[in-house]
Amino acid sequence: MNIKKNLTNRKFITPVIFGLLSAIALTSCGGGKKDENGKDEIVETADTVKTSVLNIGGQLFSVPSPIQTALLIQKSGITYDKAVLSASNKVNTLSTDFARSLNLGIYGADLGYVSLYNQTQDALGYLAAVKQLADKLGISAAFDASTMERIQKNVTNKDSMMVLVGIAYRGSDNYLKNNQRTDLSSLILTGGWLESMHFSVSAYKTKPNDDIKWRIAEQKLALNSLISILSGNQTKEVSDLVAQMKDLSKIYEGITFTYKYEAPTDDSLKKVTYINSRTEVTVTDEQIVKISEKVKEIRDKILNSSQS
Amino acid sequence: MKKLVIAFSLVIAGACINKVNAQCDTIANICYKHITAQFISDGQLYRALLLNSEETAEFHSTFFGETTYRIAACSGTGDGNLVFNIYDQERNLLFTNKKQKNAPYWDFKVKSTLEVVIEGQLDANRNPGSGCAVILIGFKQK
Repeated sequence: MNIKKNLTNRKFITPVIFGLLSAIALTSCGGGKKDENGKDEIVETADTVKTSVLNIGGQLFSVPSPIQTALLIQKSGITYDKAVLSASNKVNTLSTDFARSLNLGIYGADLGYVSLYNQTQDALGYLAAVKQLADKLGISAAFDASTMERIQKNVTNKDSMMVLVGIAYRGSDNYLKNNQRTDLSSLILTGGWLESMHFSVSAYKTKPNDDIKWRIAEQKLALNSLISILSGNQTKEVSDLVAQMKDLSKIYEGITFTYKYEAPTDDSLKKVTYINSRTEVTVTDEQIVKISEKVKEIRDKILNSSQS
Repeated sequence: MKKLVIAFSLVIAGACINKVNAQCDTIANICYKHITAQFISDGQLYRALLLNSEETAEFHSTFFGETTYRIAACSGTGDGNLVFNIYDQERNLLFTNKKQKNAPYWDFKVKSTLEVVIEGQLDANRNPGSGCAVILIGFKQK
């Protein structure tokens, strides 16, 4: 009896509650109104906030593109060296999402590197590896099919490749943020950054020069950014990785930067601002050696532990 | 009953997130056109939902020396709805698009590496409400 009564009441109450909640939902999400500039307007739900600072995409800092490092290495006259790259044929040996995500970042950096040196055959290998890894991670939609097709078609055109690889990784970053998979996107960024550090320290060993030395030193902010981003993930494997990166960060503490502000100049016609400030970096060869050893240790651990 | 409310709240939250994501995606697609083919994307998309023109979204970045950067900043379906400012590590203002009629993109030729803070804010005069702010970074070697 009671049960029936309850059920009857629930039958009545449920649509009412749904109706009320739907109304709330419509108010909360906004009705897709457009303002006079044609801008979508999202109706406020929170209390009015005074001036505050938000973190974009839940991320504190940006991480430099691995392609940028590869460009500097090529500009420094370092020739193509396949030995510095990660093997593109080991996708099937990667058994965890942690290893797959890191390697997706590593392969992206490698794809940029081989493309820059016009190594078509190797580029195709890394492209296939990226696709396979994305499939295995269940995020194949992250790499927009039309962009991947354009990459395949432009594999012999180094300039287009650089641009398209950047677009593909930006698209995947957006996809993963949309789907609340920042755990994966942070590991992809970390993998790409570590591989670009590996390019730099290897290049410096082959042909030491100040540009590469400074670029290695200038990664201090990027390293601390990655530590911040990864620290939100409490899994054991990520915590271990963060601990290693913190060890690397300790080496960076000894590197000093002297910044001198100089007023920038604008060219409004060309839409360009010239940033004239100067930074002097003080970094010793010993510090670079220590950084190289630590980067190698972290990278080796990733590559070895990722294989089942 | 409690479960029903929780379930429905989750559905609502999901619907809201989807709506915001869809709005940000639309804006990002519009913003991409400013990172033209001579620039390589840094592979990331920086975005935030700003509830009003008093809120500021910010992120820290390194501008490497001997590089030209392009920053594109968008909100809404038209250009010029987002004000963006760039500061150095000592909080000196290096650039504001406010002085450039809210230009949706701008190039920066960087002599020497420096750490910067990039801020985005909805322009109160153009949009008194809320909106998704999207900032993109492209670069090319000098």
